[in-house]
Amino acid sequence: MIVQTALLIGLVLFSVLAILLRDLLKSAISLAAASLLLGIIFFRMNAPYAGVFEISVVAGLITVLFILTIALTKAGDEVRESRAVNWVFPLFFIVFIIIDALVMKGLLRKIPALASGAETGTFGDVLWKGRTFDLVGQIAVILAGVFAVLALFRKRDKHD
Amino acid sequence: MIILFVALPLVVAGILPLVGKVSRRVVPDLLANAALLFLLVYAAVTGRHLIAGGPVLQQLSWFGEPVAIRLALDGFSLFMLLAIALVGLAACLFSIDYMEHYGAKANYYALFLIMVAGMNGLVLATDLFSVYLFMEVAAVASYALVAFGLGQDELEAAFKYLMLSVVATAFILASVAVIFGMTGSLEFAAVAKALQELNAGAALGVASAFFLVGFGLKAALIPFHAWLPDAHPSAPAPISAVLSGLLIKVSGIYAMTRIFLNVFGLTPALSTVLMSLGTLSMVVAAFLALGQKDMKRMLAYSSISQVGYIVLGIGIGTPLGIAGGLFHLFNHALAKGLLFLTSGSVQQATGTRNLDEMGGLAKRMPITAATNLVGALSIVGVPPLNGFWSKLVIIIALIQAGHPVFALIAVLTSVLTLWYFLLMQRKAFFGKLNEKWAAVKEAPFWMTAATVLLAVLCVGIGILFSSTVTTWIQPAADVLADGVHAVIGSWGF
Repeated sequence: MIVQTALLIGLVLFSVLAILLRDLLKSAISLAAASLLLGIIFFRMNAPYAGVFEISVVAGLITVLFILTIALTKAGDEVRESRAVNWVFPLFFIVFIIIDALVMKGLLRKIPALASGAETGTFGDVLWKGRTFDLVGQIAVILAGVFAVLALFRKRDKHD
Repeated sequence: MIILFVALPLVVAGILPLVGKVSRRVVPDLLANAALLFLLVYAAVTGRHLIAGGPVLQQLSWFGEPVAIRLALDGFSLFMLLAIALVGLAACLFSIDYMEHYGAKANYYALFLIMVAGMNGLVLATDLFSVYLFMEVAAVASYALVAFGLGQDELEAAFKYLMLSVVATAFILASVAVIFGMTGSLEFAAVAKALQELNAGAALGVASAFFLVGFGLKAALIPFHAWLPDAHPSAPAPISAVLSGLLIKVSGIYAMTRIFLNVFGLTPALSTVLMSLGTLSMVVAAFLALGQKDMKRMLAYSSISQVGYIVLGIGIGTPLGIAGGLFHLFNHALAKGLLFLTSGSVQQATGTRNLDEMGGLAKRMPITAATNLVGALSIVGVPPLNGFWSKLVIIIALIQAGHPVFALIAVLTSVLTLWYFLLMQRKAFFGKLNEKWAAVKEAPFWMTAATVLLAVLCVGIGILFSSTVTTWIQPAADVLADGVHAVIGSWGF
C-alpha cells in the first residue's frame, strides 16, 4: 500500500512538473519519468502488457522522439506566455484533487464492479481475436496521420 | 458486405496519393467522387432491403475463420450512412473546382475519404471503444483538413480544434473506462444488459456526465462550443460543409443518442438535461449569430443553434420528438452543407467573407444566390421547404409531451434565425451591387452543380416529406424509441 501510494504521488508529481517546467528538455524527461512510474503501477496491478507498452513506447520511444525534436530546433525569440498559467493551473489542480477525492470516496463503495479477470487470454488473442475492428481503425488513424503530415508540410504552390 | 462502407473509402484513400503521382487532377477527382457515389447508391438502394427483416449483424470471416470485426446496420445507422454519403458526395463534387488552387488534391481527397471512413465506421460500430476509435479517425483527418490552406488563421483554428477535441475524447475515454469497469464488457448489447441488472445509479451518473461533456464538445453544444466558430469558417468550404453538416452530428449527436437511448436508456433526468442544453444552444447561438460580420462565422453559429433544435427534439424522448430531431438532423445536414458551399463560391469569387464588403451579388452570381436563399429559408423553416416540416414536428412533439414553454422558445428562436439569415441575404446578395464586384462571375460548373443538387433536395424533400419520413426517418426513430430493447434483444453475437 505504501509503495503504491508513493508511486501514485510520484506519478502526479512528475506529470505536474511536465506541465509547469519551462525548459522543454526537462519537461520531456519529467514526462518520461511519469510514464515509467505508470508502467510500474501497471505491472503491480497485474497488467504486464500494458506495463511493457507504457515503458517501451511512452517512456522510451516517444521520449527519444521528443528529445530529438528539441535537439533539432533552435532557440528563437522568447515567446511571451500568459502569466495566468502560473496560478490558473495550480488552482485548477487543487480544485480537481479536492473534487476527485470527494467524488471517489463516495463513489468507490457504490460501484458494483463485476468480478472480471485481470487479463483473459494472451495479448495476441486479445489483439487479433478480440479487437480486430480496432486494427482497421488503427490503420485508418496511421493513414490519416501520414497524409496529414504530407498535406501540412507540402511545398506551397505558386499562388501562395 | 456492410464493411464496404469503411473499407472502400479507406482503400481508395490509400491508393489516391499513388495515383496522384501519375495524374494530379482528373483521376483523383474521378476516383474520390466515384467512391462516394457508390456508397450513396449502396446505402440508398440496397440498404433498405438489407434491413427489411430487422437489423443486420455482420461478423466478418477471414479464410473461413471468424474474426472479431462485428458491424451492425439498423434503421438509425442506415439513415446516418445515407446522410454521410449524400452530403459527402455534394462536398466532394464541389471540391473538383474549389480545391483546384490549393494544390495537393490527391492528398486532400485521401484525407476526405478517411474522414468519411471514420464516420461510417463510427456509425456501424457495435462497441464503445470502437466508437471512440473511429471518432478519432474522423477527427485526425479533419484537423489536417481544417488546416489545409496553411494560412495563419487556418493553423490556429486547427490547433484550437485539436486541443478541445482532445479534451472531449479524454472525457469519452474516461467514461468508457468507467463502463468497462462496471460491466466488464464494451459491446453495446452486453453493456445494456449488464446495466439493466446492475442498478448502478451513481456510477452511471458519472459516466453519463462524462459522455455528455465529451459528446457535447464534439457536437459543439453551448457551453462546449468555443472551438466551432473558429474551426468551421477557417476550413476550405467543402470541409466546412462536411464538418457542420456531418461530423458534429455523427461524432456528437449520433454517438450520444445511440449510447444514451439504446445502451443506457433515457431517464427523465437525462431527458431534462438534454432538452435544457438543446434549448440553451438554440437560443444563445442564434443571438451570437446575429452579431457576426463574417459570413461563414454566422453559418457556424447557426449550426450550433440548429444542433440545439436536434438535441431538443431527441431529448423529449417520445417517438414523435425523436423522429422530428432526426428529420431536422437530415435537413440541417443538407441545408447547412448547401449554405457553406455557397459561401465558398462567394469567397472564391470575391476573396472576402466579410458581409459588409459584399452587396448585390445576386446580379453576378444568380445561381449561387438562389441556392443560398433556398438553404437559408429551409433552415429558417419556411414552408414548403424541408426544414419547415422538421421544426413543425419538433414543436408539435414538444406540445404533445407537455412542454409548451420549450415549444414557444423554439418558435421564437425561428424568428431570430429568420432575422440573421435575412441580414445575410440583404448584405451579400441583394441591395446595390458593390462596384468592386462588377467583374465577378458565377461559380464554375461543379461548384454550381453541387449546390444545385443540395438545393433541389431541400425543395424535393420539403414537397415529398411524408414519403421521406416513412422510408428513412421513421425506421431510424423506431430504433431509438425502442430504447435499450433495440440493442439487447437483437444485437447479441
